[in-house]
Amino acid sequence: MSRFVRGFRKYFRLYIRCARTAVSAAVAYRMNFAAGMIITFFSNILFPLVTIVIYGAGLSFPGWTFYQVLLIQSIFTVSSGISNMFFQGIFRETNNAVRDGVFEIILLKPVEPLFYLAATSINPESSALVAGGCVMFGLSAAHVPGITGAAVPVFMLFILAGICVMLGLTLVMAAVSFKWVGNSRLPELFGSVLELAKYPLGIYPHSVRTFSTFIIPVALVASIPAAVLTGRVESSYIAAVIPCILLVLTGIVLYKRMIRMYESAGG
Amino acid sequence: MDETMDGKKTDMQPVITLSHLTKEYKTYRRGSGFTESIKSFFRRESVVVTAVRDVSFTVRKGSVTGILGPNGAGKSTLIKMMTGTLFPTSGTIDVMGYTPAKNRKAYVQHIGAVFGQKSQLIWDIPPEDSFFMNAAIYGVDDADYRERLSLMVDLFELGDCIKKPTRVLSLGERMKCEFIMAMLHNPPVVFLDEPTIGLDVLAKQRIRSFIKKMNALGTTFILTTHDLEDVEQLAQDVIIINKGMKVFDGTLGGLSRTLGEKKIITLTLASRAGKELFSGLKGITSITSTSGFEMTIEADTAAVSMPQLLKELSARCSFTDISVKPLPMEQIITSIYTDSPDFNISPADYEK
Repeated sequence: MSRFVRGFRKYFRLYIRCARTAVSAAVAYRMNFAAGMIITFFSNILFPLVTIVIYGAGLSFPGWTFYQVLLIQSIFTVSSGISNMFFQGIFRETNNAVRDGVFEIILLKPVEPLFYLAATSINPESSALVAGGCVMFGLSAAHVPGITGAAVPVFMLFILAGICVMLGLTLVMAAVSFKWVGNSRLPELFGSVLELAKYPLGIYPHSVRTFSTFIIPVALVASIPAAVLTGRVESSYIAAVIPCILLVLTGIVLYKRMIRMYESAGG
Repeated sequence: MDETMDGKKTDMQPVITLSHLTKEYKTYRRGSGFTESIKSFFRRESVVVTAVRDVSFTVRKGSVTGILGPNGAGKSTLIKMMTGTLFPTSGTIDVMGYTPAKNRKAYVQHIGAVFGQKSQLIWDIPPEDSFFMNAAIYGVDDADYRERLSLMVDLFELGDCIKKPTRVLSLGERMKCEFIMAMLHNPPVVFLDEPTIGLDVLAKQRIRSFIKKMNALGTTFILTTHDLEDVEQLAQDVIIINKGMKVFDGTLGGLSRTLGEKKIITLTLASRAGKELFSGLKGITSITSTSGFEMTIEADTAAVSMPQLLKELSARCSFTDISVKPLPMEQIITSIYTDSPDFNISPADYEK
């Protein structure tokens, strides 16, 4: 067995054990957990109501049917749910640990801090969001004609790329926490950029389309994957995968460098 | 032999070597009051603070080394640099052949750390679950994990406490669990940053007894504390830090001799008398009268032998009780804190 496979198996087992502990901690207060799950679900899954209002008033996004737009928003919901569940905790935990001066507890573990934080900050409350998003996706996909099996591999590639974008943004925000201590409002800034992915790319001016596809490729979170399923794929989209990977790599490198700036708190 | 006559450490088998270690922080000066706050919003003056300045020392393998110093002296910064969680500004640290901050991941596998004011336990679940996760992180196999856990739970007499949520445990129970968390992987070197802070006498004794037992099994401990009893009961070697600088580095015996061979003699007199009764006595450095019947005398036994002094005291007064004690450690440390010069000094230099 190669060293890589052994290392991967070790880290996988470790991830499972840490994640189980994180889930145990999350469900320790049953009512809080249930309420959190319901609040997360409703506060995130109700935004398609705007789409219902727009189309109910006889208006539309040019070239997009109601269910096609709902498809974009269901993909956004699933991607957000995955992001919240598996790696949003990296930012939250880093931000809190740096502000409270307890990040050394993480640095004392003989594993990568990013791995440790991801494994121990799993948020099972967001599973409801993923489930709800999947139901919404199924409903909208059933009303969108022309979705072919051939589109699925490219769709999955873009979904993965979109998740990379969210991971990259999380890592950049977390890295900034080491310098800009207590930056709890930063996610709102990144969240507003992510809003671009909730609607068809075609409604935006050319400069915004270019920015959200190739610079900070948030369009890959939902707009572009939905475009693939509805047959609107452009060959240039594939190039947008590169900035997604670069964003993740930048986030990882930046985080590792910024750890050096950690200054702890007085004893 | 662990120490020389001048209180320096000997028989060196260093497990930790610090050389000219310095840590500087950049911080911002913010004024108080409304105007200053507004001013600092637009323009802040940066200030470089030197938390640790040119500190060098070694720690012997298998020893318990106490690091003492007043609040803000730089003890915690020093210990964090030794654990690899803070990067030094300059200087070098070698712990078991590792450069802590550079080889952090490999290095921390071989150390343990307990921070009295920072918990490694997960608050909402039982410590046993945190232990189980930590064992996996450190790659401790299940059989070793069970054996070590059982040993330490027995030593601390924790029983079923480890199965209760951490939040319901007392501070003493939590601190014992912190020790288990830090030592499950059997590290040869353990750093303790104020491990007995806020604990009652019984919990302190239990923790000290645990440290002694683990030290007897070969674990090296580096301990920062404000509790001098921790040092007196545990440490063989002592390092004192003040204003970021090392002001003492030697054995506990050497530390107790830094102010000379002084003793505190307390006399209960048979009849009321004043301090003048003892004036002119050789070797007396101070006399305090707590009441007319009780007299506390500080004597330098390097200047006068104890039998000679007792003979002189008996000749001058009649007393019903007498006690002779060494100079309290607190007095020695206070003297070093207040008199510490702005350069490093050895115990031998102090005696000069």
